[in-house]
Amino acid sequence: MILTHRIIEGIDIAALSGRLVMADAPQVRQKLLEIIEQGNGKLILNLAEVGFMDSSGLSVLVSAFKAARAKSGDLALLYLSPAVRSLIELTRLQQVFAIFDDEAAALARLR
Amino acid sequence: MTRTITLAIESQAECIELLSGALGGLCRLLALPAAPIEIAMVEAVNNVVEHAYHGEPGHPVWVEFEWAPNRLSLRVRDRGQPMAPGRLEAAPALADPDPAALSPRSRGLTLIKSCMDTVEYEARDGVNTLSMSRALATGESV
Repeated sequence: MILTHRIIEGIDIAALSGRLVMADAPQVRQKLLEIIEQGNGKLILNLAEVGFMDSSGLSVLVSAFKAARAKSGDLALLYLSPAVRSLIELTRLQQVFAIFDDEAAALARLR
Repeated sequence: MTRTITLAIESQAECIELLSGALGGLCRLLALPAAPIEIAMVEAVNNVVEHAYHGEPGHPVWVEFEWAPNRLSLRVRDRGQPMAPGRLEAAPALADPDPAALSPRSRGLTLIKSCMDTVEYEARDGVNTLSMSRALATGESV
């Protein structure tokens, strides 16, 4: 799993690439929580290149969401791959997560 | 005609993607819906690695894949600590999430039950078996 990170206008944008599964979840969770802790609590998570995600991956998203909200920020998911979209819709978490297909719209939401 | 293949890995999280790759190939070969089958298998093997073997590598995990024209069956076997009685039955059905009560707890068993039609668990003679099956509609494809 590869994680890249950049900051635009004080908003953290992290992109994940690979499989977000049990083997990778602890490290990804720790890294995302560090980004949230060190930033403003506003995180856009680009999941376009995540080819598969299991319940461990979902729990990483939930941890990031709760950490961001605890800092009065928010989490926005960007560009869901088909596999990720399928899992999020199966678990109905699209009712909780803000999901965008456009980075500018995600940035506007978190400004 | 029923066709069966058994795959084996050692109990390491890093090995589970090997099963995923093999399962994906089988699903393409047989034109089966790969996404729910892969989710169910990965969650079942995750549970074995994490709970039956407590994250300890070096133990066997077997996945038996049985295909019949109208039904797909998966059986995940291990020799670790059996799942507590009633745990499978107690796994909640999928429901609308409450943002205020959202928990990072595992949804593994719930996902398995959502992706497959039947899910049964048996611990016998030192071997634990999670058996899952899913009906295949005529012409159901990826």
